[in-house]
Amino acid sequence: MTSRRIFRSLPAVALVAAGAIVLAGCTPADGDAAATGDPVTGGTLVYASGDAEPSCLDPHVGGNYPQALIAGQFLESLVSLDESGEVIPWLATEWTTSEDGLTWDFTLREDVSFTDGTPFDAEAVKANVEHLKDPATQSSTGYLALGKVDTVEVVSDTVARFHLSVPDSALLESLSQPWTAIESPTGIARGMDENCVAPVGTGPFIVDEWIPQDHVSLVRNDDYTTGPADRAHDGAAYLDGITWRFIPDSASRYAALQAGEVDIIDNAQPDTLDQASKSGTLVEIDAPRPGAANRLELNSGQPPFDDIRVREAFIRAADVNDGIDSLFFGTADRSYSVLSSVEQLAYSDDSLFDTDLDEANALLDEAGWTERDSRGIRSKDGVPLTLRFPVSTNQSIPAEQSLFEQVQATAKEAGFDVQLSPVDLSSWYGALAAHEYELVSAPYTKVGPDVLRILYHSDSITPAPSGYFANLAQLDDADLDALLTAAASESDPDERADLYEQAQQIILGGFYALPLYDQQNHFLHSPGLEGVRAMPTVSTPTFADAWLAD
Amino acid sequence: MSDLELSNRAVAGRSLPRPPRIGTVLALAFVAFLAVATFAPGLLQTTDPDAIAPRDAFEPPSWAHWFGTDESGRDVYSRVVEGTAASLLIGVSATAIGLALGLLLGGLAGLGGRVLDFAVGRVNEVLFAFPGILLALLIIVLWGPGPVTATIAVGLSTAPGYARIIRGELVRVRTSSYVEAARVLGHGRARVLVRHILPNALAPLVVLATLGIGQAVVWASALSYLGLGAQPPAAEWGAMLSAGRIYITTAWWLTVFPGLMIVVTTITTTMLGRTLAARDGSRR
Repeated sequence: MTSRRIFRSLPAVALVAAGAIVLAGCTPADGDAAATGDPVTGGTLVYASGDAEPSCLDPHVGGNYPQALIAGQFLESLVSLDESGEVIPWLATEWTTSEDGLTWDFTLREDVSFTDGTPFDAEAVKANVEHLKDPATQSSTGYLALGKVDTVEVVSDTVARFHLSVPDSALLESLSQPWTAIESPTGIARGMDENCVAPVGTGPFIVDEWIPQDHVSLVRNDDYTTGPADRAHDGAAYLDGITWRFIPDSASRYAALQAGEVDIIDNAQPDTLDQASKSGTLVEIDAPRPGAANRLELNSGQPPFDDIRVREAFIRAADVNDGIDSLFFGTADRSYSVLSSVEQLAYSDDSLFDTDLDEANALLDEAGWTERDSRGIRSKDGVPLTLRFPVSTNQSIPAEQSLFEQVQATAKEAGFDVQLSPVDLSSWYGALAAHEYELVSAPYTKVGPDVLRILYHSDSITPAPSGYFANLAQLDDADLDALLTAAASESDPDERADLYEQAQQIILGGFYALPLYDQQNHFLHSPGLEGVRAMPTVSTPTFADAWLAD
Repeated sequence: MSDLELSNRAVAGRSLPRPPRIGTVLALAFVAFLAVATFAPGLLQTTDPDAIAPRDAFEPPSWAHWFGTDESGRDVYSRVVEGTAASLLIGVSATAIGLALGLLLGGLAGLGGRVLDFAVGRVNEVLFAFPGILLALLIIVLWGPGPVTATIAVGLSTAPGYARIIRGELVRVRTSSYVEAARVLGHGRARVLVRHILPNALAPLVVLATLGIGQAVVWASALSYLGLGAQPPAAEWGAMLSAGRIYITTAWWLTVFPGLMIVVTTITTTMLGRTLAARDGSRR
């Protein structure tokens, strides 16, 4: 139960891809860990994940965060991002785009082989894009990320040419994500069942064995030569291998780390982080995820939130600042943007989110919600001011669920009857699909501000084949659609930044969302583990340069 | 069932009425407290149980907050008092449902003749094969979580136990010598049933019900603990335990006090049940 982590099991569809430049704040809390000693070769790292165990290790299939966490250890992408958010070479050494933005040439590294011996070349890139676009792959995140790519042409062994249907300013960011990583075509050809168990890549580790419900064993790739351009050292990893365990219960995970049974845990909870910082021996990595911040979406597609005055009244009444401070023990900062703070183009406006109960009451009176029952709940024409708020216990951690109870209590003072219902994931999807919600919290990870198009373009009100629609605020605004569409094709960085700022002003100013904080992504590891860092792409840790000092 | 053995042992062991013991007095006092907490919680509460104060979160027990404050700064004592009604209502209603169904099934089996006895007995055995909590979970999966479903689920899950005991009592009394005697004297079937069988067979029910309430409160709390009973922000003991669980190493008062209420309530009703059993036995 404590394991309901922030992103935990938003299905693939919720994790779409594409985007702009991102800066991930993700250096170890102790500063320069790599400088504290000489690297030691050998040893097997034990990783304990609080995320759901993936049903398939190939991140092309579906494409969620738990898959990205582990796939980053054995698969690599064409490009990566550095800590300032600039796109840097990885499996592709350079790239050029045509004048019209419809053709991209990627020059690939030479003399690289997948760990099954298959050569890495333009044919392999072509095969991967075709795999992602093949409906039989059941890809969601990678499929959407490459939505504007029509075909890949093999110009030579080392040059792959991408043909696009429309210009895509987010193409490089899309390709930096683990969900579009490059796998061995020979591995893919084995078919989904086999490839899911042990995908083959070019990464620093190789999938050796997967014992479902228990662990995945990864062993070192001794022939490893690649790595993103900002990698700390060349050649094979220091570690002999990684044992990737699944420990869903937060307290058990932390106890295992304290006992030395595991070397690193993910999804460290606020109270755990607080304890760890007091004990002082463990090292924290705080790597907020890119894309959208955690926020409450106000369903503007139906009453009562189709009235902007009611939306504003709710935002004026719902007080979350004190709750975020106390429930998260200072590990999460209040956000005033719908985008993650690691997004360079995130636009914030805290003046829109001042709480003011009198103002909220005045707005509701003005909007006609004037009658009050014995509990103080307002109604209009006999209809009570009820806000249904389904909460996915898989995605909202206990601290967040407590925060929602506080939202419920503060909104009640203005006369809102917030009906919280903690439900499992499938009931939650059911409630959303049936539009049986006025409030919802749905985290969304994706590199770059193009996530705004996924979340707030009116096209996203139409459900995907899976039944999920990402525009949960049901924001339908022609001006906003035009801005988001233009920004996605705009190649000039300044123009693009300006378009995204205007778009975010419309979203925040229309009171469609109540931003809370970044998608929390905290890791704790033992002091003996050094050289680990979170990738600046989607904030997953990489162990290519890590070693165990003890 | 063990409840029956227990009451029988009590019957065998005590022959004279005795003055109420200190434990009984304390138990009665606690029941009085529960009654007030159920029907007029405001008399006992120090503050609004749902009023949040995030800045006062996680405060240990003090004069201002007897049982401390929870993660949202709510007063744990006031919430425990508030939760009494929910927990007891579920406990009492579930026991009533269980007893009513138990009476029906047990009555059919005990008085309805061989075929019915056999049929009910087999159905009962199937139900017994499931742990009660599993049966309750199944019912909740079918009907959705919530206090009403939880009550019905717990009631249905306890019915087989009652049915078996009631059947046993009915059979015991039906074949007893005084009923035989009444029949021999020519009394009608209905008269024998109403005057002799039912009063004697059903007297232990009062004891059973009292014992059952404690059990039902534990079950209801267990379901709420799993998130299948009371929904937020309702203060219910099991739900409070569940919410406080993750803070158990840093804020013990979030789990200790609701837990204590469940334990004390269960012990109290069990003690009263035993006392009643003893009196019942001594009257015979």
